Amino acid sequence: MSQREEDFVPRRYRVRHTTTYDYDADVVGCYERGFLSLRDTPHQQVVSLDVDVHPEPDILATHLDFFGNESYYVEVRTRHTTFSATMTAQVDVEWPKTDVAQLNQWTIAQAAALVAGPEGPDPVTAAAYLLPSPLIELGPEVEAFAARLLPPERPLGEALADLFGTIYREFDYKKGATSVKTTLPEILALRAGVCQDFAHLAIGALRSVGLPARYVSGYIETFPPPGQEKLEGSDATHAWASVWTPGGQWVDLDPTNDHFADSRYVVTAWGRDFRDVSPLKGIIFTESKKSTMDVAVDVRRLPAPG
Amino acid sequence: MTAPAPKLPDRLLDAYRDAVAASTGASRAGVDELLRATTSTDNAYAALTGSVDSLTLGGLLAARADAARLVEDDGITYGQGSDGRVGRGWVIDPLPLIIGSGEWTEVEAGVAQRARLLDALHTDLYGERRLLQGRRLPAELVLAHDGFLPAVDGIRHPGTRQVLLTGTDIARGADGRWVALGDRTQVPSGSGYAMANRRITARVMAGLHRRSPLVRLRGWFDDMAQALQAIAPSGVDLPRVVVLSPGSTSETAFEMAFLSTLLGFPIVESEDLTTRGGRVSIRARDRIEKVDVLLRRVDADFSDPLDLRPESRLGVTGLVESARLGNISIANPLGSAVLENPALHTYLPTLARDLLDEDLLLPGPQTWWCGDPVGRAHVINNLESLVLKPISRRIGPNYFGWELDAAAREELRARIAARPWQWVGQAPVSVSTAPIVRRGGLEPRSVIVRTFTVANGREYAVLPGGLARLAAFSGQQSIANTSGAITKDVWVLARPGGETPLVDLDIRRPRLLPERVPVGLAARVADNLFWMGRYAERAESTARLLRVADDLAEDHAARPHTPGEAAMRLVVGALDALTGAASRSPSVLAHLRSLLIDESTPGTVAWSTMRLVLATYEVRDQLSLDTWIVLGRLERALRDIPGDEEQLQPQLGRLLESLLAVAGITSESMVRDATWAFIQAGARLERAMTTAALLRLTLGFPGAPLVEGQVAESVLSACESIITHRRRAASGFGPTDPAQSAVAIVALDPSNPRSVAYQVAELQRALTLIDDAERQADLDLLAAQLHPDRVDDLFADERKPLRDLLSQVETTLRSTSEDIARRHFARKAPQHNLPLAWSSAAQVPR
Repeated sequence: MSQREEDFVPRRYRVRHTTTYDYDADVVGCYERGFLSLRDTPHQQVVSLDVDVHPEPDILATHLDFFGNESYYVEVRTRHTTFSATMTAQVDVEWPKTDVAQLNQWTIAQAAALVAGPEGPDPVTAAAYLLPSPLIELGPEVEAFAARLLPPERPLGEALADLFGTIYREFDYKKGATSVKTTLPEILALRAGVCQDFAHLAIGALRSVGLPARYVSGYIETFPPPGQEKLEGSDATHAWASVWTPGGQWVDLDPTNDHFADSRYVVTAWGRDFRDVSPLKGIIFTESKKSTMDVAVDVRRLPAPG
Repeated sequence: MTAPAPKLPDRLLDAYRDAVAASTGASRAGVDELLRATTSTDNAYAALTGSVDSLTLGGLLAARADAARLVEDDGITYGQGSDGRVGRGWVIDPLPLIIGSGEWTEVEAGVAQRARLLDALHTDLYGERRLLQGRRLPAELVLAHDGFLPAVDGIRHPGTRQVLLTGTDIARGADGRWVALGDRTQVPSGSGYAMANRRITARVMAGLHRRSPLVRLRGWFDDMAQALQAIAPSGVDLPRVVVLSPGSTSETAFEMAFLSTLLGFPIVESEDLTTRGGRVSIRARDRIEKVDVLLRRVDADFSDPLDLRPESRLGVTGLVESARLGNISIANPLGSAVLENPALHTYLPTLARDLLDEDLLLPGPQTWWCGDPVGRAHVINNLESLVLKPISRRIGPNYFGWELDAAAREELRARIAARPWQWVGQAPVSVSTAPIVRRGGLEPRSVIVRTFTVANGREYAVLPGGLARLAAFSGQQSIANTSGAITKDVWVLARPGGETPLVDLDIRRPRLLPERVPVGLAARVADNLFWMGRYAERAESTARLLRVADDLAEDHAARPHTPGEAAMRLVVGALDALTGAASRSPSVLAHLRSLLIDESTPGTVAWSTMRLVLATYEVRDQLSLDTWIVLGRLERALRDIPGDEEQLQPQLGRLLESLLAVAGITSESMVRDATWAFIQAGARLERAMTTAALLRLTLGFPGAPLVEGQVAESVLSACESIITHRRRAASGFGPTDPAQSAVAIVALDPSNPRSVAYQVAELQRALTLIDDAERQADLDLLAAQLHPDRVDDLFADERKPLRDLLSQVETTLRSTSEDIARRHFARKAPQHNLPLAWSSAAQVPR
C-alpha cells in the first residue's frame, strides 16, 4: 500500500468493528476480555465511542490496564448460540510525517545508550518494552537479523526505514502460514507471515539492539480497487510496531505496508506483544463442538469536522 | 525372625559428638543444634539432652516407628506417588528442634519484619511503582520475573496488609546467627504440616512434651481464620471463606484438607466455582452461594484462564475481574509470587530503610543479581565458589558452582550472558546440623526451618514453631521435600510465665461465627460422597460373596457332577455376572483370588477399594480424622494378601473387618446432614441393586432341590442373614423352603438391615435429607411391592413374579441413581478458549 502526501492530512473517521461468534449448541457462560475502544494518543483524539454487546451482558466493565489501554470485561450468562460485540467510534486523526533526517542525527548505538539516561523513557516503560515477551523471544536468529539491519553505527532513521523495507521485500504476506504459536526464528526461516508476525519481528529486532519497542493494535483505512465500490465491513484490524526514539518520540512503522504510520492509522491499544492487546479473547462454557468467528471492520472517512 | 538389636553406644550424645566432628561436606564449618544446646544454660535444652540419653537408642527408634505409624493413621501424605496417586513420603524424626525464648524473640521480629517489607513492596509494585520509577529497585528485576502479573495491576483488597501469609526459610549460619534463605509468598505451604508434626511429636515424645514449656501453635491458626475473614469485601457481615485447591492429587492435598478442618473453611476446586455478575460463587444444586474470600492454593497464573494462563483448568474464569471489582478478596493476592525473586536479597537492606525506615533484622545470603553489570561480573568471575540460582524456580534448578566441571561452567556462563536478568549468584551458607535417629545412632544432617506469618490487622503474627526440614543424605546441601527431606517439629520455648494452655492436640474448629445455615454441597463433592458409599458397599458385598464362593470352591471344586459343585458353579457364575470380571484362569480358586486382588480389573474388591480411596481423597475435608486410620488399615489388609496358594478365608476376614470399620464411621461418627446422606444414598442403592441381582441370578428359576438348598444358604450367608434363617427355620417361623426363606429375609423383611426392602426405606430417608422429592413416589411404589406377605405369590408361575420384581428393583434404582447424578452432580459445561487466532477475516491486503 503506497503512501502519498494526502495520507497525512487530518481527518475524522467513523470506525465500526463487529466480532460475531456462532456456535452449534448453547453457550451457558461467556467471558470476554478485549480492547473494544480506541486510545487517545498524541496523534488521535476519540470524539465518541459506543460499545454494544448481544445478548445483553451481565457485566460490562472497563479499567485502564498496565499499558494504559482501556480494557473491557464482558460476561454473558444468558444462554446463546450467537454472540456479538460491536464498537462504533468517531476519531480525529492527524499523524505527522516521520522526519528521517532528524532521526539520523543518532546512530543505533547512540540511541540505545540514551534509553537508560535521564532523557530515556521511564524505567518501567523501558523494561516492559526492552525485555523479551511471550511471543517475542529473543535469540541468536533475531540478533543476527537485527545485526544486519540495525548495526550500531547506522543512522537511526535510515535503519528504521530499512527495517520495515526489508521485511516488506523479503517476507511474503501469506495468510495461514503462521499462527499465534509461531516463533520469531520460525518466521525468519519461513520468510512469510501476516501483519502480526511482521510487527513481532520488527519489535524483536529493535529490542535486541537495545531500543524499546511495542506492539500496536489498530485499524487502517483501505481503498477498493479503482472503479469499485468500497464494501461494508471490508476494512481490517491491523498491527504494527512502535519504537522509542531519543527526544521521547515514539515512531510507528509498518513492515506490512513498507512505510511509517500516517493519518490512515487508528490505534486501539498497545502492549509488549499480541497477547497483551488481542482485540477479543474469551472463555466459554458449552457442549458446542464448533464455533465460527466473523470479524467485520469498517473505517470510513467522514466529512472534515467544521 | 527378629532383627538383632542394634548395639547401643553407652552415651548416645558422646557418639553423636564424634559423628558431628567426623562429618564432612558443607556442614563441616557449621554449628550443630543439639551440641549447641548441651552448652546452653536453659533448662529446657537440658531436658532434651537428658531425654536423648535416658530414652536410649532403642527408645528413640521406637518413637521413630511410632511416628511413622501415626503418619499413616493420620493420613499425612505429601507429593505424588508413581501411579499418580497421593504420595506417602512424609517422614518425621521424633527429636524436635528446640529454639529458646530469647533467640526466638529475635527470629520472630526478623521474620515479621520481612513480611511487612514484602507487603509494602507488593503494594508499591502493583500500585504507584515509586520504587521502580525512582530507580531504587531495577524495573527489569521485577518485570522479568514470571510472578509479576501486569493483568492484576491495581487490584487491592480492603485488608491493611495485601500479602496475608508469608513463609520464610531460615537457617543458622556458621557464626551462629539466623539468615533468611528465601521467602514464599505465592502459596506459602507447610504450616499445616508443622501442626501435623506437632500432633505426632507430642504423642511419640510425650514425656518430654509434657515437661517442656512450649508455646502452642493452635492460636496462630485462629489468627489465620480471623485474618482471612477480616479481608472480606466491605459490607459483608458473615464472609464465606473457601480454600481453592488444585485438586486431590496435588502435592500438598493433605495439608489443604487439614487446614480446611482447622480453619473451618471448605475446600473447593475449579469445578465447584462459577462467576456470575462478576461475583464468584459455589455451584450447588438450585443454589449458588457467593464466595467472599479465597484462600488460594493454586498458583496465581493458573487462577483465571481468561486473564492469565488460557490453558489452565485449575482456576476460576472471571476471578481477576471479580477481585478488581472488589467482590472477592484473595489471599495471597494474585501476583505475590514476584516477591519470591532471590535477586531481592540484594535490595532488601536498602528497601527496608526506604519503606520501613528500619534496618533489616534478618538478612539473606550475600547475593549478586546478574541483571546488574557489577553483579554479573562478580558472578561470572566467581562461578566456582557461588550457588547459582534462577530468579524463578520455574526457570530451572540451582547449581553449586564448585560441583560443576569446566564445560558445565562455560555452559552456565553462556546461559547467564544470554539472559543475565534471570540469574543470581549467592555466597553459600554453612547451615547448622541437627541429629536424626537412625538404626546406627544419631546422625547430623543439615537443617532449615520454614517459618510462617499471617497478617492480623497491621501486624504479622509469627507461628511459634515451624517446619524443620533436614537433608535426606549425609552431607547433602540442598534440602527440599521433593527430594525426600526428613522433617522435625520445631519447639519454641515459652518465656517464663508465658505458657499458653495445652490445646495443640485439639484441632476442632474454633467458634468464630454464629452457626450459619448449612450450605449446599458442591456438585463434585456430592458426587464423590455418593460414590464413596457405592464403592465401599460394592467392595464389601463382593468380598462377602467371594468368601461364600471360596468356601464352596474349597469343598466342591474338585468333585464334578455333585450337587455341591453345581451350587458352586451357580454362585461363581452369579459373582462373575455381578462383577463383570470374566475368568481368565482355569482354576476356580485362582479366579476367585484375582477377583479379590486384581486392582486393574473393574469389579474386583481391589478395584472397588481403590475407587473408594480415590473418592475419599477428593472429599478429605468432609470426613473425620478417624477415616484415615480405617482407610489405612483397609489398604494394608489388601496389600498384605499374598498372591500365592494360601487360603483366602483369613485374608477375606481381615478385609471385611476393615470394610465394616469404614461403614462404622459413616453410621456412628457422622452427623445426619447432606454429607452423610449422599454416602448413605450411594451405599443403600448399591446394596439394594446387588442383593436384588444376586437373588435373581441364583434363585430366579426353580432348581434341583439339593442344589437349591445349598445355593439359598450361600445367598443367605453372603447377605449376612444365615443365622436369622436358621433361627426362624428352627422355630417354625417363616417359609420352610430355603429359597423362599432367602427371598423373605433378604428381599422383603423390612427389619433386616441387609434386605432390599430396608435399603429402599433408608434410601428414601437419605433423599429427604438432601431435599430430593423427585423419586419418592417411585420408591413408595417399589416399597409396597416388597411386601413381606408376597413370598408365595412370587414363587408361583415358575417364579416369574419374583424375577419381575427383582428386575423392577434393579431398573428403578438404576434410574434413581442416574437421576440423582443428573440433578446433584451436574458438572460444568466444558470450558473452551475462543480462538486466539490471528483475526482471519481481517488482514490488510497489499
